[in-house]
Parts: sequence; structure tokens; C-alpha cells
Amino acid sequence: MTNFLFIKSKSKHFKHLGFLLLLFMFSVGAHAQTTVSGIVSDSFGPIPGVNVSLKGGKNGVSTNIDGKYSINNVPANAVLVYSFVGFVTQEIAVKGQSQINVTLSEESSTLKEVVVIGYGTQRKEAVTGSVASISGTTLRDVPSSNITQALQGRLAGVEIAQTSTKPGTSMQIRIRGARSLSASNDPLVVLDGIPFSGTFSDINPGDVKSVDILKDASATAIYGSRGANGVILVTTNKGQKGQAARFSYDHFYAVKSAFAQYDMMNGPEFVALRKAATAPGASAPLFSNGPDESNDVNINWQDEFYRTGIEASHNMSVLGGTEKGTYKFNLGYLKDEAIVPQQDFERISLNASIDQEIGAFRFGLTTNNNFSINNGASMGVGTVLSTTPIANPYNLDGTLKRTVKMAQDEAWVTTRETINNLGDKWKDQSQTMASYNNIFMEVKIPGIEGLKYRLNGGLNIRMSNSGNYTGEGVFNINPTTVSTASISNSISKNWTAENILTYDRTFAQKHKINVVGMFSSEQGTSNNSNIGAKNIPSDDFQYYNLGYALGEITINPDWQGYSQSGLMSYMARAMYSYDDRYMLTATVRSDGSSRLADGYEWHTYPAISAGWNIGKESFLRDNKYINLLKLRVGYGQTSNQAVNPYSTLGRLTTRNYNFGDTYAVGSYVSTLPNPELGWEFSTTMNYGIDFGLFNNRLSGTVEYYVTDTEDILLGVGLPPTSGVGSYTANIGQTQNKGYEISLSGTIIDNLNGWTWDAGVNFYSNENKLVALATGQTRDEGNGWFVGSPINVIYDYEKIGLWQQGDANLTKYEPGGNVGMIKVKYTGDFNPDGTPTRQIGAADRQIIKLDPDFQGGFNTRVAYKGFDLSAVAAFQSGGTLISTLYGSAGYLNMLTGRRNNIRVDYWTPENTDAKYPRPGGIQSGDNPKYGSTLGYFDATYLKIRTITFGYNFDQKLLKTTGIDKLRLYCTAQNPFVFFSDYHKESGMDPETNSYGDENQAVASYNRRILTLSANTPSTRNFLIGLNLTF
Amino acid sequence: MKLIQIKTIVATALLTFVLGGCNDNILDEQPRSIYEPGYFKTEKGVQGGLTSMYNHLRNLYGQAYYYNSLITGTDEATYGASADGNFKDMDLSGAGSIISTSYPTSILWSTVFPNINTASGVIENAGEVGIAESLISEARFFRAFDYFLLVQTYGGVPLDLGAGELKFNTSTSRFSVRNTVPEVYTKGIFPDLIKAVNNLPAAPRLTGTVTKTTARLFLAKAYLTYAWWLQNPNNIPTYPETTRVDPDGHDAAWYFQQAYNVAVDGIESPGANGLVATYYDVNVGTNDRNKEMLLYADHTEKSEVYNGSSLTYGSGGAPDNFSGWMMTWNYPDLKSSGVNSVQREAEQHLGRPWVRMAPTINVFEKTFADKTNDSRYDGTFTTVYRGNWNKAGNTSATLNNANGLPVAPGGAILTFLDSEPSTPITYPSGSGANNVGAGELPGRSDYVISPRGISRIVYPGLWKLGPYRTDSGTGLGQPNAGSTRPFPVAKFSELYFVAAEAAVKGAATKAGKSARELINVIRARAGKWRFDNNGNVAKVADNSAAMIAATPATIDVNYILEERSREFYGEGYRWFDLVRTQKWEELASSYEIGGASKGNHTPIKVNRTILKYQYIRPIPQGQIDAMIMTPEEKKAYQNPSYN
Repeated sequence: MTNFLFIKSKSKHFKHLGFLLLLFMFSVGAHAQTTVSGIVSDSFGPIPGVNVSLKGGKNGVSTNIDGKYSINNVPANAVLVYSFVGFVTQEIAVKGQSQINVTLSEESSTLKEVVVIGYGTQRKEAVTGSVASISGTTLRDVPSSNITQALQGRLAGVEIAQTSTKPGTSMQIRIRGARSLSASNDPLVVLDGIPFSGTFSDINPGDVKSVDILKDASATAIYGSRGANGVILVTTNKGQKGQAARFSYDHFYAVKSAFAQYDMMNGPEFVALRKAATAPGASAPLFSNGPDESNDVNINWQDEFYRTGIEASHNMSVLGGTEKGTYKFNLGYLKDEAIVPQQDFERISLNASIDQEIGAFRFGLTTNNNFSINNGASMGVGTVLSTTPIANPYNLDGTLKRTVKMAQDEAWVTTRETINNLGDKWKDQSQTMASYNNIFMEVKIPGIEGLKYRLNGGLNIRMSNSGNYTGEGVFNINPTTVSTASISNSISKNWTAENILTYDRTFAQKHKINVVGMFSSEQGTSNNSNIGAKNIPSDDFQYYNLGYALGEITINPDWQGYSQSGLMSYMARAMYSYDDRYMLTATVRSDGSSRLADGYEWHTYPAISAGWNIGKESFLRDNKYINLLKLRVGYGQTSNQAVNPYSTLGRLTTRNYNFGDTYAVGSYVSTLPNPELGWEFSTTMNYGIDFGLFNNRLSGTVEYYVTDTEDILLGVGLPPTSGVGSYTANIGQTQNKGYEISLSGTIIDNLNGWTWDAGVNFYSNENKLVALATGQTRDEGNGWFVGSPINVIYDYEKIGLWQQGDANLTKYEPGGNVGMIKVKYTGDFNPDGTPTRQIGAADRQIIKLDPDFQGGFNTRVAYKGFDLSAVAAFQSGGTLISTLYGSAGYLNMLTGRRNNIRVDYWTPENTDAKYPRPGGIQSGDNPKYGSTLGYFDATYLKIRTITFGYNFDQKLLKTTGIDKLRLYCTAQNPFVFFSDYHKESGMDPETNSYGDENQAVASYNRRILTLSANTPSTRNFLIGLNLTF
Repeated sequence: MKLIQIKTIVATALLTFVLGGCNDNILDEQPRSIYEPGYFKTEKGVQGGLTSMYNHLRNLYGQAYYYNSLITGTDEATYGASADGNFKDMDLSGAGSIISTSYPTSILWSTVFPNINTASGVIENAGEVGIAESLISEARFFRAFDYFLLVQTYGGVPLDLGAGELKFNTSTSRFSVRNTVPEVYTKGIFPDLIKAVNNLPAAPRLTGTVTKTTARLFLAKAYLTYAWWLQNPNNIPTYPETTRVDPDGHDAAWYFQQAYNVAVDGIESPGANGLVATYYDVNVGTNDRNKEMLLYADHTEKSEVYNGSSLTYGSGGAPDNFSGWMMTWNYPDLKSSGVNSVQREAEQHLGRPWVRMAPTINVFEKTFADKTNDSRYDGTFTTVYRGNWNKAGNTSATLNNANGLPVAPGGAILTFLDSEPSTPITYPSGSGANNVGAGELPGRSDYVISPRGISRIVYPGLWKLGPYRTDSGTGLGQPNAGSTRPFPVAKFSELYFVAAEAAVKGAATKAGKSARELINVIRARAGKWRFDNNGNVAKVADNSAAMIAATPATIDVNYILEERSREFYGEGYRWFDLVRTQKWEELASSYEIGGASKGNHTPIKVNRTILKYQYIRPIPQGQIDAMIMTPEEKKAYQNPSYN
């Protein structure tokens, strides 16, 4: 696993930490008998900060900078405990000695790694399910405002795709592919032990200690229905017992510029296109210059629009511990500006945790709070891209025009200047306040060793308030279009109560038993409202008092909402291991969900997994080359209740009407009730091998899994003749199978001060729709085809362009022309070779979107205080949909009506072009089959970050009181390789929009991600610093 | 002390546990922000159901692709220069074809069944909650209205949506059986409309709600259509196959007579309805919702919420009223002295140009041959495009136009001439200085195009359906919004045509109500002028006598169809009229129009291939795909020749 690499460096800086601990710690006085002193060292020499304490006692001291300690009042028969993070704890009987020197041995990397598994932690070597982990430190190798960005390409089987390039947006996570057709495929996020109802942008990456991802059913079973799409456990930093207070400050500052501008035509190119765009047989161009257009103008509207963005992050924390308790405070601030003017995201987060033991009890509280402001999210680039480069935004006197009139369109002049000049005339802001709290009480049940009861309470609240104001005529070609304003509010609350009994004991040193029983209930309630108003009398009001609106005030029922849903669960899990060689985990869980129909609310399902640590068997124990070899196999079922509340009840849709000036609201049945709506199930088999070779210099994991999902919850479209549009039912099956490989290695291990580590992960998920509603093998409307992946597109397949002399053009394409797009024909032929029919709907093909495999790699070279690291992500195969090139964006109309993406188009002189003849046969406003122009091979390799850092020498720092100081600079998104799309356009090949966003016409299913006209992705240069004292 | 503390804590913990454990009601659902179907059984729910029936008209009337399916391909229009496949397919002139996946022919099918179901729900539930039959009859009217549209378009259609014939369906059945045409008429249409005629009020309940007269018109039309179907003069096939025998034992003649009787009842007892004084007043925006309008899909400029679509920028989809954009050419291309002299304006002559459909030369030469006496040509088309650059902020007092002559705002920039001028028009090659390829005549300051000079790209606009707004002030207003005017569905005047057609088909007539006399009521009205629309001046004239004099002594079906086209041109009646009378092929098999580029003024004769199977439309593929039936059953469900 990738984070093996970091444990080493971590242990080093813990040493330095120890030094500080020492400085800050006071000796604890006690009643004396003897004093024991000595030196604690490891194979390299003395270690400062090692905790030395009496077994069963309260006393404890730490070693000083020279590794020396001295502990008073030690009874002669006492046992001293020497402990230090990253080392095997040693116990030594004093037996009257006054001088005890100890050499601690480092824990092997597998031994010391602890994995959060849900309702507990487990040593990595004992894990039998499929769990991928990454530490906060590793995560922060990719400095980012959002942990999803930092996770991309880091973990096998965890696909993270960009859904928007706007600041403050989160990425979409799919763990081992998508299972469900219409229900959510988002994994469950658990923040500090409690299911998290917010978004990733609410989590401050600076405060994350670790992210653990449960992938297979045997691992997620403990979360039951919530875990069907995988579970992401985010743990924030906590103090440690006995740890001296530590202050950290992390900061980075980035300068952002467009990775590449959208590749639009410049003036001369556009002039040539407009000239070439003639209807077949006609000589005059389709469009002639509009009033504000002139062939000698060459405006790059993007240059006029974008700015340089700034991103800045500050994170401060204090962590510490007392003898019986720990605490943590963290304050974070982030500001991220887009290169689109007036678009930015700001977040302040305040997190704290406290944990205190009182006798047999333990109490704790973790609170994660944040306040964020999102400005200008609605500011799009569509107008900037579509305005022609020959449209002159300036009047003769150099002032900006209000609008430019082009051949057929008129556009509001959208530049940095016009946006910045809007002042009070425009505002678009949303503010979110969220608080995620987890309180617990734990008690050791007296009389039974190892038995604990814990009550967890989670209380979450997220409120958001947003407003939008567009002044009179703003963005509108008509200067008198009335102003509009709207406000919306939402509040969602969520509570969780978990009662957990844990029994954890080791018998006869070899039998380890851990049993957890839990009963939990949770309920979420959300409520949102929206009000719109027209004709605000003064720009000063903006959206702050809609009551003054002179125009219509609208409360659209579709934008108001209330929903409440509850979930109750019983769960039991038993983990048993024998001699750390044979491990067995069994889980059973029963869930009841309010979202499902009466009588179908409850379901119980099992999971079991086993592991065999072959490396610990006698025949391998002494093998020099094999340090770890573990086989794992797991089977489990999970289920998914992810339908919207009230899906079983059916629904009336309202529609308004005016009888002259009398207004009325109508309603009709749009969704039928389904009194039999029940759970959706997934069954997973998981096989895994973990290994560590050559003194753990090469370690890795290989996994293979098959997940079958049945009774998929699906909105079923009824035929029109049923009189009702749809209902939600359990219909359909999907399968996901795939493999995952993670390797990490230390290539050079401290050779003359040089260290070189590298890690790589590959994974492949094959998704298949196994069955649909009875009898159906295809549902073209929804794009679902049995035997194909869930995400496909159903469209014609472009095989070239029709050329002069191609036989039967008009038979295939009545009304077609030379230079038009040639698509595959699948029909029959007459004896004379002509097609029996024209090309039509029957020729559409299923086009696969999913990549063949994807993954990432990271590497780090260090020499003394310097280090250079890089993180990359890649994918191979699949289809990228770019609506900039396809027909959905209206940016490749090839008619010369609006500006066009720069393409090599067919002309009689340029017949081997990729794109069709401008002005040729059209479908709507685009070239016929224009959507096929938007499909690209999605292969790419992207270097996400390259970081060069320097850790200041500890000895130098010592005098300043600083424990650790690191400076680094990072280039984000520096390079893209192997991408056809990048080669053609120079643009970033990563998706940036949901399938129905940032296009002129929403053309794809929302879940199919596309590359569209969103805020451009950026290439950032940042400098950062980490400071600890 | 410590013990007490522990006890308290343990007690608290247990209490929490117990409370959590017993709190089973978190699994119960109580929606608070949505209506569930149970609401439909309340009085307010029934009223909501009725409102939604009027609303459903917006998904058909004003929906341009549906509109296209009823006009393109008839003798009223062909596709325009910017047409996409939806329009070319409907033209049947070789540029495309109508197949089961064609969108325009699927719109009706996918729109009306939910409304039929809602109507059945209202009819079933309304009695239980004490709703008056006069209200329930509105639901009956709409159920029959929808079935009438369906049966004319697709042949026989299912009366059972899953819960039994004409029953409110709440089952999730994905099986469907089509009834035959006579079953649909005799079970699904006539009984409902007869009840509606008997129970609906003479005056509308609210502006635009259906009256006894509305129900009479549709009952008369349904009788007429069914009578033609029974008679089947041109041997057009029906589907599902059935003998042309009326289950109620009547013959075509009986139904023609019924059609005549009911229509004449409507004329004689008009209630709150009737003809308005001039044809201009039927269609001018200031006079919307007049007494001649029996049914329309209403819109309003006063409320975006209740208008159902944007008041500033229409999306080009239902419930926008955007049909008027289709036959509007791109007049803002016009230039005078290099300035765009006619800009997009929310004005009835102008509006948003989509250039998807175009009237043929035949429309100007044949249908509207009389442009002088008959006010309907002037009351149908925009033939004069007038300068409005001043409204766009250009303060030029005049612009030089044709022949270099100045034109002031409001002056004619382009005129489509009534007939070929004696002096030939000098057309530019290509788009010319006026940028649309219009020509010049000596001494005229306006550019001109003659009837034979119109093309798929430049042609007179459809004034009738143009936008009308009162909130434009002195500017151009919001030309890009859908029209906020009501889209006409049925007019009182049609009663005369229905009665006349029934009379021509042999119905015994009443005194003073022969076919010719009925038609002459309409023609006489058409001869009355109060305003010269394209001349933009008041014009009081009564050419009724000349109009009547020009009426042929013997009225035949073709003449009625011609007259219908003059009266209802471009409103979406045409395909139904041609299909009912089985005259589609005869009257629409060829047309003339110029090409798709500016400056093209050479008429091209285009032939259409209209086959008998096409008198009914394909069952939409979406229906076929969504049913759970065997491939054979599915094949049998589709109309012949569309497989």
C-alpha cells in the first residue's frame, strides 16, 4: 500500500516530536523508593521522547534529547514499560537495578499499521476484508481544498471523477463501479465514526488523520444497507494520551491559471469558417456578418474574461493529551478563486475533539464545524465561447458595448470588466453552515474483562442559504428585461444513536476474540424552500428583501420540499484470530428502512470472511524474502435503500394554468404507488492476497471480486397507454467484477542519504447489466442494455466522412451531401449493392464509456532534507464525451453562426479532414450526427502534482524552538500524456460536468460525466509550508 | 456518591437505549411537501384534475413539433430553410420519412393518455365527493376530446389503460390492447360528448372553459369524421382491422345527419359564443379570448408561474407556445444602408424566427388567390416588414432602402407583393444589399418579392400566431419568449364548416342552412374589413356581396376544404381535414417553392409520395418498447407498414 512509504518518514518525525515532548513535559513527583535511569536507543542511536512508565502506575517520564531518562520512586519489584510510536513496546522488570539501557526495535510496517474498520480498528495484518487506507499526510501530498481531489488515483478500486471545475465542488466517488441504475451509487461516508450527511467540501483536508475505504461486502457489512456502495471512513486528528501539546501550522498559496483555454477559433479562422459554411449547392454563406462583426476584428473573448485565480489555505491545530484524556483543536481557512471572475469559495472550519477517562468511564466529543461561502457559481463561460471572435466589443471611443450583434445572435458583452463593473447589479452567493458532532460514553462493564458498552450519539446539522440577484437587463440582450431575485434555504438534520457492546479478549495468548453487538437508529430530516421575485425596484435591495418586488413573487412547489427518513439496525460482528495465523470475521446485520413499503422494510443479511497469514506459518516464518503473505476470502451481502423517501407512495404532479387572468393549479397522477417496494441487494465475493517481500521493501495487494446486485431499485417507465409515467420498483440485476493491484516499493533504501520510493495501483472494473424489467433486453430511453455496462451511450458510430464519388450516398442519406458525417450502416443490401433502407435509428450502436483499466502512481526521491515527489493518475480506454465538440454544446455547429471550436473541417480542398463540411446537412442546428463528433478515446495519463520540498535540519531548528519546518513548492496539473483529446485540443481531458450541465441542450443522462463548458480547469503553482512546535 | 453517579449514567444510557429501541415510528412515512394519489379523492383534488386537463392542451397546442405534424406535408406548408429532420420527415417529399421513432407523430400519443386517466379519475371520484355533473362533464369532454384526436391520428386505441375500459388506472400493467375505431367512437367518444352537451353550461365557468357549444362542435365533428370513416370513399385501410359496420346499427348517412343537426344546434343556440365582426378581429392579439374562440390553450404575460414558460426566453419545448416561430423567416437579416432595419420584436407581425416551415407558392396563388375582397389573406400573413430600428436605440430618422430611397421607422422595408408585377422585379444575385435577396421595383422605397419569388428561406410570415405583448413599452419587448397569447384549438366558425360538410355529404338541411348558405356566412364575414393589417391603416370596407357572389353555385368537398384553409390556415386543422375527407393525396401531392438560399427566386416543383397506410400515424416506438408483450404481439400492435 502506498502509505507504507510514509510510515517510515512519520516515525522519524515522531522522534523529533519526542524531543519537543520532552521539553514541554514536567516531571511528575511521587513517593520514592529507588530511581532508575538509563538510555533508550534504537539501532541508529538514542531516541528522545520515549515514554517510560511503571506498569500499572501513573508515573511516566520521557527520554531527553540524548535518549536519557530518569524515573523516581520505582519499587524494586516494578516493571518498567518503554513505549514509543512506531516501536515495539518493551517491558523490563527492574529487579533492583538502577541503570537500565534499552534498545527498542522498530515495529514492522505491517504490524504497526492500524486500519479503521468501522466500530473499531484492527491491525492491518488481521484484516480479512478489503480495506484500502491512506494517511492524512500522504493525502496532503496533493495539496487541495477537498479530500476527493487528493484521493484521485491513489487507491485501487476507488474511482474519483471530476464533476465540476468550479471551486468548492466535490468529485464523484465510485467504489468498484456503479451498481445501481437509479439509486445512488455514492459510498457512505463516516466521519469520526458517525455517518456523515454533508459533502466532502465540508471536510477540511488539513485535519484528516486517515481515510480508510471499505470495499467488499465483508468489510462493509457492518454498515449494512448504508454500505452497499462502499464506505469511506474519514478520521480526523486526535490528541494522544500523555502527549505534550503540539502546535502545527500548514499553509499553501497557489496561483491558478487556465490549464488551457477552450480551443475556440480565432478571428481569421472564424472568417474562413463562415465563408466555407454554405448550404450544399448554394454559393452564399449561410450567415453574413452581423452589425458588430467585421472580418478584421480578432478578439479572444477568453483572454478578455479570465483572471488569475488565487488559492490560499491556512490550517492551525493544537493537539495534546493528559494522562487520562486527549484533546484537539483545529482551525482551517481556505479561499479558492476560480479564473472566472467573481467566482470563489471560502471556508472556515473549526474542529475539536476531547476524550476523557473517568474511572471505568470514558467520555468524548468530536465536533467538526464549517462555514462556507460560495460566490458566483452560476457564472458560466457559454457566452464567452459562443461569441464570435470578429464581434467587436468596443465602441469607436474605446468604451465597451452592452451587447454585440452577430449574424443571428446577439450576446451580452461578457468580459472581466463588464462582470466586475456590475457591482450591486448582480450577486450570486450561497452560504453553508454545517456542524457534525459525535458524542460518546463508554464504560467497562465490571466483572467481565474485555466487555465494554458504548453509546454513540451523532448530531448533524447543515444549513444553507443562498441568494441570487440579476439586475435589470444584466446578461440580457434586452436592457429592460426586469430584474430577478431568488432566495433559497435548506436545513437538514440528522441524528444517530448507537448502542454498542464490545467484548475484546485474548485467551491463552493465541485466541483473540472481538465481538461487537450493536443496535442503532438514525433519522434524517430535511426541508428546503425557495422564493423567486421579479422586478426589484432598486439594485441596492438585491435579494435581501423580496417583499419589495414589483413583479411576480413565485414560490414554486417543485422547489420546496420536506423529507424525513429513518433507519433502524441490529448488528453483530465476531472476529476471531488464532495465533495471528488464521482469522475469521462474521457479521450479521438487520436493517429497517422507512423508505420502503410496509411489510418490506426489514431485511437481514450476513457476511463472512477469512484470512490465512501464511507468512506466519513455521515453514515461512524464517524465510528471508517473504515477510508477509496473507490470503483473504470474503463473502457478503449488503443492501441498498437508496430511493427517495415516499417513493412507495406514488405522486401527483402539479401544473399551473391561467384561465384568462384567473390562475389555478392542476394536478395529475405522475407516479404510481408501489406497495411492494423492497431492498436492493448486492452479493460480493472477494479474494485477496497481501504480501511483503525483501524485508518489506516490496509490498502489495492483489484482489479480485465479483459483486452481483439484484432487485435493483428502479424508476420504471410505463407505456404511455397506462396513463401514468412511472413507478419505482425492484427490477433488474447488475454485475461488477474486477481486479485491483497495489504495489509499493522502496527502490533505494538510504544509500548514501538517497531514498527512492514508488507506488503504483491498477484496477479494472467490468460492469454489466444482467437483466432489466421482465422481458426487456434494452431500454433505449434510459440507455440501458442487458449485457452492456450501465453507462453507455446509444448513438451512431462515425466511420468517416462521405467523399465525392462514394457510392449510394443519397440512398444511405437522402438529402445528404459530400463531406457529411458517414456513420455505420447495419442494414441489408440489395443484389446491386445498394442498401435496402436509409440509415436510421436501427443503426445506432452501443458505445462503451467505462475505461478498461485505471489507476495511479506516486514516487518520491529524497536526499537529506530534500525531497521530490510526484503523483499521477491514468486511465486507459473508454469514451470521453466532449459536448464542446459534439452537438450538445452548440459550439461545433460548423455553420459560422456562432464561434466554433477549432476543428479541421472538410472542404473540397481538404477532404481528409476529421470534421464535416460546414453548412452541410443538419439535424437541428448542428451537423447531422453531430453528437458523434464529441466522442474521444478517454485514455490519459496526468501528472497531478510534482512537489519539491525541503525539511529544515532539526539541529538548526532546535535553537528556534521549532520542531519541524518544511517548505515546498508544487505544480498541480503540470502535464498530460497519451490523451487524444489533449493532443487535438490542448485541453485537460478530465470530465468537468454532469451529463446534463454546461451545455446548450442537456443531452446526456446526468450520471454520465462529460467535458463541457464549465469553468476551465487550471494549472496551479503553489508554495507551502508546514510548521510544528 | 460515585455509585450514584454511575447509576445515573447507566440509567440514562439504558433509557436512551430503550427509547431508541421502542421508537419504531421512525420507520413510518409522512410526506408533507408532495401530493400523493390519495389527494385525488378529495374535492380539491378533483378540481385540480380539471385544471390539469386544460393545462394538457399546452402540451399540444403551441407545441411546434406537434403543430408541424399537422401542417407540414399538407397543402399548407413545407419545410423551411432551417428545418431539421422533424420537419423534413413530415413533408414526405423525399427529404425524410415518417417512422415509428419520428418525434412529431409521437407527441399526441405520449401526451393524452395521462390526461385521459386523470379524466377517468375525476369522473369516477367526483360523484363520491358531490361534484356537480356540469363540472364532471368538463372531464368527459376532455376524455372524448383526447380519444377523438387519437382515433383520427392512429386508428383504434386502447380504452382500457389497465383497470378496465374507461376506468381510472392505478395499476402498473405494461400490457395494452387496442380497440377498433368504431369501439373508440361509440364507447369512448360519443357517450361522453352527449353527456357533455347535455350538462355543460351555456356560458363558460371560467374564461376559456368548455361550454355546451364547445361540446356540440366536437360531437358534430366526431359524427362527421366517423361518418366519413364508415363510408370510406377512397378505400383507406384502418387498424386494428375491422368491418366498417357501426356497432350501434347506424350508417354513414345517419351520422352525417347527426353531424349536421348537432352543428346547427350549436349555431342556433350559441350561448355566450358567436362570430366576431371581422376576420381581423378573430386573430388580432388585442382581441384574444373573443367569443368566437371555443377552446384554446391559454397563456398569460402577467405571470410566469401560470404561463408555464419563460416570459423572456422560450426554451422551444412544451408548454411554450412556440408554434408561431416555425413559419417565421429570419426577417432580422434585412438591412437598409447596412443597418438591420427590422429587428426582432415582440409584435404580432414579427416574433422569433426559426424558419422551420414555409408556406408554398400554391398557398399564395391558389388558396389565397383573392387578396383584395377576402380579408383573410391580410389577416393571416405578415406581408409587409416595417422598420423598427428606432426601438433598438438607433436614432437615425431615415435609412436608405430600395433604390436608395429613404424610409422612416414604421415604413415598409420589404413587401411581399400580392401578385406578379407587370414590371419584372430586379432581384440581386445572392442576398444583395438588403441581405435577404429581395428585389427592387422602380420608384419603390421598399424591397419586394412576388408570390413566385418566395423560397424556403424568405416568405411571408404567419401574422395570425404572432406574439402580442402589452409590456414592451417603447422597445422591442421580449421577442424570444414563447407567445403569451392563447393558442386557438376550436372556433365557433367551424360549426358552419362541419354543418356544410355534412350537408354536402347528404345530410338533410334546414331552411337557410344549406351548405352554400352556411359557407356564405363565413365568406360574407371574410369580406368585412375594419383594418388593413399589412397596410397598417384603418380600412372600413364590406366586400361581403362580392365574396358571396364568388361562391360557386354547388359546394363540393374540395371547395369546403379550400375555404377551411382560408379560414384556419396554419392553425393545425389541415392534416385532420385532409385525412377525414381522404383528400390528402389528391390535394397535397405536389407544391412549388424556391430553394433554401437567399436570392433564390426560381420556383421548384416538388412531389410528395403520400401512401394510403400513412393516413394513420405509426404507434410511437416508445410505446412498443415499454410494453411487456411478445414480439408478435408488439408487431400486431403497430400500424401496418410502419414495422
